[in-house]
Parts: sequence; C-alpha cells; structure tokens
Amino acid sequence: MAQEDDDRRAWFRREILPLEPDLLAYARQFCRDGQTDPEDLVHETFARAIACKTWREIGNPSAFATRILRNCALDALRRRKVLTITAVADFERIEPLDETPGAEAMLESREELRALAEAIAELPAQCRRVFTLRKVYSLSPDAIAVRLGLSVSTVEKHLVKGLRHCSDRLGRRNGRGKTRVDEGRSWSGKRDHDAKR
Amino acid sequence: MEREAGSRREAVRQAAALWVVRLDDPSCSDADRAAFEAWRGESFEHEAAYEREAVAWGRLERLRALRPGAGKPEPDLLIAAPARGLRHSPWARGLAAAAAAAMVVGGVLSLGTSTAYATAIGERRVVVLSDNSRIELNTDSKVVVRYHGGVREVRLVRGEAVFQAANDKRPFVIKAAKAVMQADGSTEMAVRLRADGAAVTVKRGAVELDPGAAERKDEVRLTAGVAAVYGSAGARARPIPESEIDRALAWRQGAIALNGQSLEQAVAEFNRYNRQQIRIADPSISGLRLAGYFQTTEPTSFVNAVTNAFPVRAAEGADGAIRLSRRPIS
Repeated sequence: MAQEDDDRRAWFRREILPLEPDLLAYARQFCRDGQTDPEDLVHETFARAIACKTWREIGNPSAFATRILRNCALDALRRRKVLTITAVADFERIEPLDETPGAEAMLESREELRALAEAIAELPAQCRRVFTLRKVYSLSPDAIAVRLGLSVSTVEKHLVKGLRHCSDRLGRRNGRGKTRVDEGRSWSGKRDHDAKR
Repeated sequence: MEREAGSRREAVRQAAALWVVRLDDPSCSDADRAAFEAWRGESFEHEAAYEREAVAWGRLERLRALRPGAGKPEPDLLIAAPARGLRHSPWARGLAAAAAAAMVVGGVLSLGTSTAYATAIGERRVVVLSDNSRIELNTDSKVVVRYHGGVREVRLVRGEAVFQAANDKRPFVIKAAKAVMQADGSTEMAVRLRADGAAVTVKRGAVELDPGAAERKDEVRLTAGVAAVYGSAGARARPIPESEIDRALAWRQGAIALNGQSLEQAVAEFNRYNRQQIRIADPSISGLRLAGYFQTTEPTSFVNAVTNAFPVRAAEGADGAIRLSRRPIS
C-alpha cells in the first residue's frame, strides 16, 4: 500500500508537476475578469490529479490535467454570486491546451541554474543569506543559526519563505513563450451576445 | 475560491514548505516524521502541495554547483545577478568576483539571425532546434546556431556537445576549431574542443570531416563507432567499441565513468565540472589507474574513493582546492 502511494506520488511528480507553467497559462484564460485566481485553479487541479488512483491508465497526462483544470474553472464559475458575461464567453471559447512541444523546448537544465540563482538574489537580505548557506553550502539549520546568531525557528521561517518564493518562480517559468493568452481580451467583449445561454 | 481561497492556498503551501524544510533537517525526529505523515494524510490538497514544494527544494540542490570552492561559506554569494542584459539589478555592479562568475551563466543570446546557447561549469543542457535537431551541451560549453541560406550551421565555440541532426533537405554543418563537418541526417555525434583542434566521436550515422588544415586537404568520412582527433597536424581516426563511446559520453547522465584512466586524467575530468578544483600535489601518484562511476558534481565522493583505495591523502588548500598527495606508509 505504501509502495502504491509512493508510485502514485512519483507519477504526479514526473507527469503532472512539470506541467505547471502550461497549466497556469491555460488557467489565466479562465480568469480574465479577475474574479478567480489562476493559481488557485492550478492548486486545485494538482489536488484532484494526485488523488487519481487509476493513474496507470492515463495515457496523456497533459490532456488529463487540462480536463481537470477546465472542470475546476467551471466549478468556480458555478460558485460565483455574480456571473460576468465575459467569463462565460471565455469559457466557451477556450480550446484545450496545445500539446505539441514548442520549437525550442529546453528539456534539461532550461537555464534552471541561472533562474534559481536569480530567484535567490531577489530574497530579502537575511532570508537570502540563510537560504544560500542551506542550499549552496549545505549547512544544517542548526549550524546556520549559530553562524548568523538566529534561533533555529527563525532559520526555518527564512527557509520556508525562500522555498515558497523559488517554487512559485519555478512554476511560472515557461520556455515556450506563448502569447496567445492575451489576444482575445477585446474580442470576447464584442461577442457578448454569444454568451447568453 | 476567490480571495479567501488565495490565502488558504498560501497557508497550505507554507505548511508544505515547512515540512519539506523540517524533514530535510538532520535533527528531524521520528515524532516530526509521524506528524508529517498525519498532516499529509489529511487531504490530497496537502499531499499535492507537499510534492510541489519538495520538488522545488530538490531542484534547488543544483545551486551547489555555484559553490566557489573557497574554504569559508559566503552567505552573500548570491547577492545579485549581473547577467548580461538579462536582469536589471540595483546592486548589480562591483560585486564579488565569485558571485559574478557564478551568475554569468550562459543564457540564450541572440545575435542577428544566430542564437548562442551556453552552459556554466557544472551545468548540462539540451536544446531542441526548430527542425528537431538536438544539441546536448556539456559543462562550460557554448554553441552558436545559425540556420541560413539553406544550411543548418552550428559552431562549437567552447567545451563539448553531442549533436543529433534531424533528417532535413538542408545540410547540417558543424564547425569546431578549424574543421567543418557535414553530418548525414539522423547522425548522433560528439565533438569536444581540445587545446589544438578537437575530438569527434560518431555514435550513429556518418559525417564528412574536413579538418581544414591549410596544407592538407584530406577529407575523411567518419562512420558510426569511429573516433577521430584533429588539429594543426592533421586528422587521425580509429574505430572504438560502443562501450567506450558510452563511457566517454557518461556525462549525458551526469556521470564520469572511469575504466583504467590515470588519476591525472580523472582529476582533469572532475575539474571540468566543478568550481572546487582538485590538484595532484605529488607527481608520483598521478599515474594510478582508476575504475568506477561517479557523479560529475560530487568531487568529494571521488576523492573519498581514491583515498580509501590508494595510499593517497586529501587536504583542502588555502585556495579551497583539494590537494592530493601520497600518504606515507607507516
């Protein structure tokens, strides 16, 4: 049983998590009216995807995750007290995620090292120092606390803050640089009559 | 799921991040682990959030490649990113050389119609071009890609790369040092620059090599399973077994494979991948023969293996380098 859970989590790591930048771009299309946070849609999509016990039968993880996200967006729409017409119009119009890889998809390091270092450089000074000592020099939290004269729990807080910053940065990066997300903003307004259903 | 949801999401991600940090702390107790299991078991939301933060934490391990190798940890190592024109930073100027060197990790630099791809020390990278040809860059390497006038041209400017040419009407041309190579479609080959010229290994397909030495015009056709070395003195080619090709290309899996190489050669290999350098302080040990499979970014595990297997001792020098010398037999 534990093995089965580990396999399921490994599948989630391998197939679903790397889709985050694409899913976020896709989610933004459902959130043009600013009433739903695209990050929430992705967060919920992940929670529903990892729950899938029949993951072995999924041949196309990207299509699977996209479908979940669409359902999450629909649920969010239903929960609304005020329904804006553009939101419904967008919903009808948005096509499933394009699954063909981009012309210059970076498969491996994807400038990752630089992106990581940049993300660390953006942290507040003390947080950045703690994080650098932990992840670049592999010092333990105890050793960092002694070296910088902090309590261990403060060191932990800095590490959590740094990790949160970096994991969001990693989730947002998208090597494909798709721009079509913003194209239809005014266009969907013109087509409001289509949405009255 | 609106505003309250956003703060709830953040609360869950924070909690997940805290567990990641705790579980990776050497002083993490069994009680902590049990508490974590309970928390994760509460919902799939927790489980997914934990995976997300744990993967990010794992990816951050790569930052170890930026360690300059100097003895004392420098908390301000990553103070800013003066990468060429890619990032504006208020503190960018006049920073520690170590930080600057670490940060000018090659990105993508477009020059007119050509595009440069580069890697920093310890980095590896796969680039898939518009025609589906692939280039795998090894540590500290750089290529400039230019598709023009019906020719797909790639120049290896620094380091080492594996090229996989996709089938296409346009010829796939690789330039390295003075040589010009034209690969057949679906050829897979490695090119590594040397002090003089370069070494070429063909794993699949075939390639026409023109070493470009002024006096001689000796074009050679290299087929799969052939390795060639060329330089100002001309070109030499010899067949090599597939196992040897795989060994030489172990870096594609992030590894250095040794099969009877000398300590001197092995050390030179590790030094390509790491800022922390290894030096042989005693020439009498440089001829020791080694075998084994090591991670490119783990020079210390290599050094430990050497000191365990041979009468060699290791010490960290004032410059942060690891110095290997003969251990006196008592």
